[in-house]
Amino acid sequence: MTATVEPTTATSGPDPPLAEARRGFGADLWRAVARNRKALAGLVLLVFFLVLAVFPGQIAPHDPQAESYLPGLGPSSHHWFGTTAYGQDVLSQLIWGTRQSVVIAFAVGGLATVLAVLIGVSAAYLGGVADGLLSLLTDVLLVIPIFPLIIVIAAYEKNSGLFTLVIVLGALGWSYGARQLRSQTLSLRTRDFLESARVRGERKLYVIVFEILPTMTSLIVATFLGGALYAVLAAAGLQFIGLGDPSSQSWGTMLYWAENNEALGANMVLWAIMPGICVAGLGAAFALLNYAFDEISNPALRMRRLDRTIRGSSKGDRVDVSVDPERILEVRGLTVAYASDEGPVVAVERVDFDVNRGEFLGIVGESGCGKSTLLYAITRLLGPPFAGEIMEGQIVFQGRDMVALTERQLRHIRWREFSVVMQSAMNALNPVLTIAAQMRDVCKTHSNMTAKEIEERSKEVLRLVSIDPIHLHSYPHQLSGGMRQRAMIAMALLFTPDLIVMDEPTSALDVVGQRSLMVQIKELQKRLGFAVVFVTHDMSLVSHFSDRLLVMYAAHVAEFGKTRQLFDQPRHPYTRALLEAFPSIRGPRVHLLGIPGSPPDLARPPAGCRFSPRCPHVMARCRSAQPPLFDVDGDLVRCILYEKGAAPDATLATASEGAV
Amino acid sequence: MRFVLRRLGFFVVTLWAAVTLNFLIPRLMPGNAALAMMSRYKGRIQPQAMHALEIAFGIHTHQSLPAAYFTYLGNIARGHFGISLTFFPDAVSHQVLQALPWTLGLVGLTTVIAFLLGTLIGLVAAWRRGGFLDGALPPIFVITSAFPYFWLALLAIWFFSIKLGWVPESGGYDVTTTIGWSWTFIGDVLRHSILPAFTILITSIGGWILTMRNNTISVLAEDYVRMARAKGLKPWRIMWTYAGRNAILPNLAGFAMSLGFVVSGAILVEFVFNYPGVGWMFLQSVENQDYALMQALFLLLTVAVLVAILVADGATALLDPRTRDSS
Ligand code: SF4
Repeated sequence: MTATVEPTTATSGPDPPLAEARRGFGADLWRAVARNRKALAGLVLLVFFLVLAVFPGQIAPHDPQAESYLPGLGPSSHHWFGTTAYGQDVLSQLIWGTRQSVVIAFAVGGLATVLAVLIGVSAAYLGGVADGLLSLLTDVLLVIPIFPLIIVIAAYEKNSGLFTLVIVLGALGWSYGARQLRSQTLSLRTRDFLESARVRGERKLYVIVFEILPTMTSLIVATFLGGALYAVLAAAGLQFIGLGDPSSQSWGTMLYWAENNEALGANMVLWAIMPGICVAGLGAAFALLNYAFDEISNPALRMRRLDRTIRGSSKGDRVDVSVDPERILEVRGLTVAYASDEGPVVAVERVDFDVNRGEFLGIVGESGCGKSTLLYAITRLLGPPFAGEIMEGQIVFQGRDMVALTERQLRHIRWREFSVVMQSAMNALNPVLTIAAQMRDVCKTHSNMTAKEIEERSKEVLRLVSIDPIHLHSYPHQLSGGMRQRAMIAMALLFTPDLIVMDEPTSALDVVGQRSLMVQIKELQKRLGFAVVFVTHDMSLVSHFSDRLLVMYAAHVAEFGKTRQLFDQPRHPYTRALLEAFPSIRGPRVHLLGIPGSPPDLARPPAGCRFSPRCPHVMARCRSAQPPLFDVDGDLVRCILYEKGAAPDATLATASEGAV
Repeated sequence: MRFVLRRLGFFVVTLWAAVTLNFLIPRLMPGNAALAMMSRYKGRIQPQAMHALEIAFGIHTHQSLPAAYFTYLGNIARGHFGISLTFFPDAVSHQVLQALPWTLGLVGLTTVIAFLLGTLIGLVAAWRRGGFLDGALPPIFVITSAFPYFWLALLAIWFFSIKLGWVPESGGYDVTTTIGWSWTFIGDVLRHSILPAFTILITSIGGWILTMRNNTISVLAEDYVRMARAKGLKPWRIMWTYAGRNAILPNLAGFAMSLGFVVSGAILVEFVFNYPGVGWMFLQSVENQDYALMQALFLLLTVAVLVAILVADGATALLDPRTRDSS
């Protein structure tokens, strides 16, 4: 089985939380609900009202309609909530009234959900004219004020029964859900797994029911809960203004009679207050569940806190700052962890490396290996949404320990001394500001340049990356992909920093674009003398440009050495596998089809050598202890094949033949 | 430009749909409610006006359905909504225009304030992730979002008017003051609007806070916010021009969706407070079986929502260059 069929290799960002983000509903759902306090509260409320609705006769102390008590009694042990102006027991009326609200909520929620699914999904799936018409219908219904419309209908048909109410509310309340389901389906339509289902020749209906709908559980649930909430409130409102059956048993009707008898003024306060509390309570049950589902299906909304116990002691300690002025960046024992539902995940573990002035360092590895995390750690950009934190280690940049600096201190060196270029300019440039504005804000923050000087400098850096300065006042979306990427590099050059950190800046481009951008980066580097830390999953991309390479695997450094040497004589089995995965820089962009298996889940890394589950040369010894980094002719390799005394080359040569 | 045209097209289609609903509903509903109403006009209005009403409600008319439909469309287009029964013999259109300023002043203003304030609070809550606002607000407002507006209004009247006597309990102004641009009158109107405005604000602000908070949290995860941090921008600038300006865009779209909710709440609030606005008049017309007035008010509510959506669209276009360019 080859693992990386899906183009996940191109994703950026700290990977571990992302990978689990949109997965697994269903079985995990129950656990998630149990862990979410809002969901639990909502569930308890809902169950409470359900019980009242099912067994009113058993629970209610009195006959709700019998006008057999003194009117307007206050609360007492006999009548907890007093009596109405007609001498009925308020508590019993409340209990009996539950049933109608619950029935309305579930019936309307159900009806609206069924309609929303039918219309939303078929609009998206049919496409074309059908989609156009259904979407228009949805949008129109969304905008027409439903409540007044229901009032209009009810006005012609006073005393309209429960049934009419349910039908009208349900028939009008599906549009919001339908709209969201449509767009969700649209975004799914092109997904790989649907493509493959279509290739397998499965029927459309089958694809919809068994492939599409399960992925939208959270949306469907939200539609139901939203519909139910709306129904409870709308029904109560209608009955309150007298547009329901005044003899029916419901909270809204109770409010109607209470208001008509001026219950609040006449000291029958609970008669008017309690039905409202019930409506709010049942509504809150749906609202809480709805909100909780939102949180469960969108992990970014939840706060995770990092368990600090794994933090080491050396963070922030004063460093014996190396005075070597040539060494611009020195990373020592860097460990970064994320909070996850399963506890802390160490995404970067005890990583050491250094960068010299003007050097080009490549960091390679598959996604999920921690290279992006490493990058964001050294630039001190960890933070929301992934609660990553530096647990240990030093990052000495130009003589200061970046780990010990405060945000305020960091701000002063950001962009002037080091800048960042991200994977996709489309995402990294603010879509609502022009390029000029995004250059201006950073210039204003770090210098006293006048508006004119800023404009001049902005044009100058655009010219450096061969963009015509007329594009300065364009918005990001108005530029082509290649131009956007260059504009971002131009932005990074504004203050000619000493270090530019790049996160796969070419992966959004085609092969030709990649190549020319790389050449340009290299030229700029020669001309301006900045150092580059370049993260990529594509080892061949940096082969001609980087001075040294750092190969990362499963949060560790697997191999670190001169680029030439790594290419000519790759030592670590992972490095070899990476090289074989990218046969040639001129070939079409292939994903890592060649390495069987995928990087381990960093929450549960394998024992011993982390590459052992995939390594063609694995020995029993590999699984017992983590190999340290061995120095082989100045090349650092984390593999016991290179333990002193071993005969690595011979071992590897024979072993690799059978394996690949 | 295409954007503007498309939105205007949508405006027209929706309006047409609302008018058509108005035309169809009386014809579809069983019972003779409309018939009863017509008899109350008998002999009191001119035959021509009577005929227009007959067409509107599908009674005694011998015209075919399509013909009646087009006559009806024509009448609506010329603003002929008929004569109000409740305010006989005043024309419906005149009555509607009298109610409008009250609602615009109360509901319109309050909604805008709630939106702006809620958006701001949501932004700050998300920005201070894990802080007091962020921890306390969501559960509170999730629950208040389930409160029936009218019930809160009842409680507010009971507590602030009846118990404490701070503010008048109903109406838009004191009938004893002379209406006009005098300070006494303006002060009186303000005094009367405090409680209803407060009710609407409390019940509607939660939605804006929650959506803005969640939008902002998603936006904070965007690369451009990380980029802004990498650039060393000042925190408030990141919050406003990077996080806020992007997070408000979906909130503006949500504004359109939630307006129906706000309108329905506002109708009930006006009803509870006897506030002389569109909502109150709407329910009066329902009570009096004054269908001509009721249907005109329904159209007015639709138009109000549509106009608000257009304003939200305009704001979106102003803030988001991508909408301006997309065709
Ligand atoms: S230590 Fe063993 S499992 Fe790990 S890379 Fe080397 S040979 Fe493979």
